[in-house]
Amino acid sequence: MLIRGLPVERLPYLLLLPSLTLICLIELYPFLTGVSSSFHKGTLLSAGNFVALDNYVRLFNSPDFYNSLSFSFLFALANVVFSYLIGLGLALFLNLDFPGRGVCRVLLLIPWIVPAVVSIVSWKWLIADRGGLVNIGLATFGLGPIYFLSQSGWAMVAVIVIKIWRSFPFMMLSLLAQLQVIDRTLYEAGKLDGAGHWQLFWHITLPHLKNISIVQAILMVIWSINDFETPFLLTQGGPSNATENLILLSYRYTFGRNDIGRGSAVAILTLILLMVLATLMLRQQRKVA
Amino acid sequence: MKFNFKWLLLLIGLVVVFIVDFPILTVLLNSFRTTDSILSSRNILPDQPTLTNYFYINTRTHFWTFLLNSGIVASASTALGTGLAALAGFAMSRFRLRVLGIYNQALLIVQMFPLILAIIPLFIIFRRLDMVNNFIPVILVYTVIQLPFATWMLRSYFDSVPKELDEAARVDGCSRLRGFVQIVLPLSTPGIAAVAIFSFLFSYNEFFISSVFLRDENHMTMPVGIQSFMQQYSTDWGSLMASAALAMVPTLILFLFIQKYMISGATAGAVKG
Repeated sequence: MLIRGLPVERLPYLLLLPSLTLICLIELYPFLTGVSSSFHKGTLLSAGNFVALDNYVRLFNSPDFYNSLSFSFLFALANVVFSYLIGLGLALFLNLDFPGRGVCRVLLLIPWIVPAVVSIVSWKWLIADRGGLVNIGLATFGLGPIYFLSQSGWAMVAVIVIKIWRSFPFMMLSLLAQLQVIDRTLYEAGKLDGAGHWQLFWHITLPHLKNISIVQAILMVIWSINDFETPFLLTQGGPSNATENLILLSYRYTFGRNDIGRGSAVAILTLILLMVLATLMLRQQRKVA
Repeated sequence: MKFNFKWLLLLIGLVVVFIVDFPILTVLLNSFRTTDSILSSRNILPDQPTLTNYFYINTRTHFWTFLLNSGIVASASTALGTGLAALAGFAMSRFRLRVLGIYNQALLIVQMFPLILAIIPLFIIFRRLDMVNNFIPVILVYTVIQLPFATWMLRSYFDSVPKELDEAARVDGCSRLRGFVQIVLPLSTPGIAAVAIFSFLFSYNEFFISSVFLRDENHMTMPVGIQSFMQQYSTDWGSLMASAALAMVPTLILFLFIQKYMISGATAGAVKG
């Protein structure tokens, strides 16, 4: 082989082949079909007529779409901000040296790893009307009852709070991993130079967390916008579509109204939105790094 | 003084843990109470613990079918996903080619792909093939979703096996593939196990895709089954809590096995991103 010059290695291509085939079959092909159906007026049973941009035009004229778009944004923004702040606080806490911190770390990951359906069952009971523990608690302070699942504003709060509760452990874990690799001697040098706790945090800890923070924030935005389970299981998008994000809207058009054209159009717009957001945030990361 | 401060931190830690895990704790506690007691008593601890709910879901529901279905779907997609990711991860670890960089980008897109976009056409296709209420579409979709994460993690495990080992084997006349199977794979066993458990947990917990494809009670996975309980017996909190509590058991056991790998797992996507 070597005598005939550099051999053309077929092996790496063969190794990628099965994964690539499956990705094309399960995502690329459906994606192309989805693009096509967003230009047609089809149902789950028939492909329908070509209507050009009609589905998109109708979306841009419908209040449903703007409602979902703004809820998706609010949901993603609130989730990134609060899961990051809580995650950072707890990561700093777990990075302190105290007995039992390993156990605390494991137990704090539970909200992240239990099935969504289990979390929702537990929260649904906690915030149920009147009899729910949260309302019993509020009543002792002379407040409430709050009908979390039947008032639009409170339903949005509930969905967002539960999502933050399900997301912060992931932030906590990755920030903690980063904290643990910061060179200890940096802090000692800082202390020798007379820096206080706050200065050490601001000038040593935060700069070291910058990169991972941006990457995790991007992932969290993507996951929040793509989240179906939290709002669907808790409120099914209600009351009166208050908690209907773009994914639920696409789902309702497709499976509820049997309108694949508009369902696919919403999904395509969601993908474009995600790509734009991810690109902007990655560009920001390069600027920082 | 220093000593006391440490115990104070532990105390704060335990209080935080209690608050954070409180919702999950209520599921466990409520599962031992009758629905009447759940609705009427203000006490969080069960006054008269009972196994009624567990007997009910054991005899009157499809609970064990759901569990079995979840087991089948999660095992199959884990085996397939980890296997494919190991092949691709090996290529990414041992070769330097442009196509591998492109493949890495493709994995990033797979990672952010809105699943609903794949599900609409897949549902139509598989329905035409009469494969709704069939595990195969669900297994295939789960496999693809796991690929980015599993590939990145396995690649980093293979990277930690010295290249010299499989190169030495090649000098001895061993093919590259055999070197991979007989040298690199055995040395990466703990990593592969961690990736497999991660994949299994993901598939076991997943609701969305299963709910689209698995619609009759004999084919539902656990999350879909519990959601159907939520709709059918919206007032029967007792059995709902018991089924949620039982559904958590496999998750928690597997979680204990991999919790020490969780840190590398949580950053695997980040490092390569």
